[in-house]
Amino acid sequence: MSIASRSLAPTVTRRAQARLGIVLIIPVMIMVVVFFLIPLVNALYFSVVDFNGVNPNPPFIGLANFERMFTDPKMWAALSNNLIWIFVGTISPMVIGLLVAMLLWSVQRASVVYRVVFFLPYILPGVAIGIVWGWIYDPVNGLLNEILRAVGLGAVARGWLGEPDVALYAVLVTAIWAGTGFAIVIFLSALRNVDVELVDASRIDGANSAQRLWYVILPQITPVFIMVLTLTLVGGFSVFDIIFIMTGGGPAGATEVLGTYAYSNAFQLNNIGYGTTLALLITVLSVPIAIALNRLQRRLSLQGTSA
Amino acid sequence: MTHSTLRAQKALVNPKTLTQSIRHVLLIFMAIFTLIPVMLVISTTLKTPEDVRVNPFGLFTSFSSQNLIDAWTVGRFSDYLLNSVLLTVPSTLLVVAISTMAGYTFARLPFRGRTVLFYFVVLGLLVPFFTFMIPLYFQLRSLGLLDTLPGAILVLTSTGISFGTFFMRAFFSDLPMELEQSARVDGASEWQIFTKVMLPLVGSGIGALTVFTFLANWNNFLVPLLYLPSGDFRPLTAGLYMFTGGRSLDIGPLAAGTLITILPVIVLFIVLQRQVTQGFISGAIKG
Repeated sequence: MSIASRSLAPTVTRRAQARLGIVLIIPVMIMVVVFFLIPLVNALYFSVVDFNGVNPNPPFIGLANFERMFTDPKMWAALSNNLIWIFVGTISPMVIGLLVAMLLWSVQRASVVYRVVFFLPYILPGVAIGIVWGWIYDPVNGLLNEILRAVGLGAVARGWLGEPDVALYAVLVTAIWAGTGFAIVIFLSALRNVDVELVDASRIDGANSAQRLWYVILPQITPVFIMVLTLTLVGGFSVFDIIFIMTGGGPAGATEVLGTYAYSNAFQLNNIGYGTTLALLITVLSVPIAIALNRLQRRLSLQGTSA
Repeated sequence: MTHSTLRAQKALVNPKTLTQSIRHVLLIFMAIFTLIPVMLVISTTLKTPEDVRVNPFGLFTSFSSQNLIDAWTVGRFSDYLLNSVLLTVPSTLLVVAISTMAGYTFARLPFRGRTVLFYFVVLGLLVPFFTFMIPLYFQLRSLGLLDTLPGAILVLTSTGISFGTFFMRAFFSDLPMELEQSARVDGASEWQIFTKVMLPLVGSGIGALTVFTFLANWNNFLVPLLYLPSGDFRPLTAGLYMFTGGRSLDIGPLAAGTLITILPVIVLFIVLQRQVTQGFISGAIKG
């Protein structure tokens, strides 16, 4: 379309279009250069110098920051927490989201009310979510322990965010509470586009409900599935707000992830070069996954199962 | 729609095993679980301070505006609210204006080198903010923009324009070529085609982007945390975080501060729930 129009349009029109086009993108290009490309290039520079935030000419140290990173047990601990976060924090909202969307699929009455309620946590600020859940998890005054004691499970009650072996999962439950509504709403809109004729036909052919789900419905929503997967997976590498608020990476590093570790190095310990190197690792890990999943989604969309 | 959902119901559900009412029971259970933290905040805020201590989890057992008054005055949440507005409104308008102009160019105004420039803009969607937030701190410091309102507004704007440009480009690309050509035959200039013909047709896109960007910037925590360190321009998110630090947990005013932070978002969402969910869905699909 655009190629055809370009060859048809007279030179005067093309010149006028180019002129206006360049004028219209000047603001975006200035913003991208000043607030994205220059700091991005500086990030690469910071990772090869020993910068403490004050010294105007920090010494060049080559790949020492990278060497330090790969031999830093705290980095590996943070990375493995990221992987737990990504694994649990991706699968749970997708499974719960799909189940709830299936439940909502055929509900007519009050379906809007349910949708609003389920989506609500997704639009709330992470700070508020972290603070309220921090209170729910409080060892002495928390709602969760209160409920456990009330139903006779007082033995299970504990300081949910204070114990190293449960803290990460406690924060994960909060993140799942906050993020599942997105999956529900997206899956519901995908289900509403499912070709019902096919589902009917398979039922007549004797497929049971599990088979209909697996062979007929799921393939039709796969592109949307992969899209949600991409967003949550990539988001999992750069998780920060909720952990920073609820535990600050503690207790004893039990909930430390790359984001909080990079932050504390750069802004609390003045290891700016090292903090930047850790932040670069987040990019190096997340960008290829985003690109690969995006390609996959595009290929599936082109096969006629449109998103 | 009703017809197809009815058929969907018939197709999927075995009426013997899962009836409509069991569905509702499950959904209501889920809805209550989802709403408990929010109800807890509202109920605690509106209690008397004594009641907060004695009976923290009873829903709406007493009424007092004391917690709200404490948060508003002693807790400085009136300042934080003003700062949130001063940060969010200009940055949202800038994102929408810049993205709409750029989206139009990348959709409909070809010139040499345009594709390369587009890749640079879209790169911002792939690279997490973390990667360059630390150098950006020192860059702002050397530009004299650290700890200033304009500095934080510009950074908030820059976090939204990659997505915004990508999003608006999709809307402009969907418009038919004939519109533009017939306007040109009628003697309209390129600027008039953009403002008079095309712009009115992407209103839904602009609306969705506005709501989406407003929510993202209102909720943003990292930008004020990093780039407004002194606290003179602290918005609600950073203010709420500071409020919890360094003091014994005073639940009543804390709940009130939380309510002040989330109430604008909740009201906006409930009033515009269609636009918000549609915006997120199409944002995710187009992105």
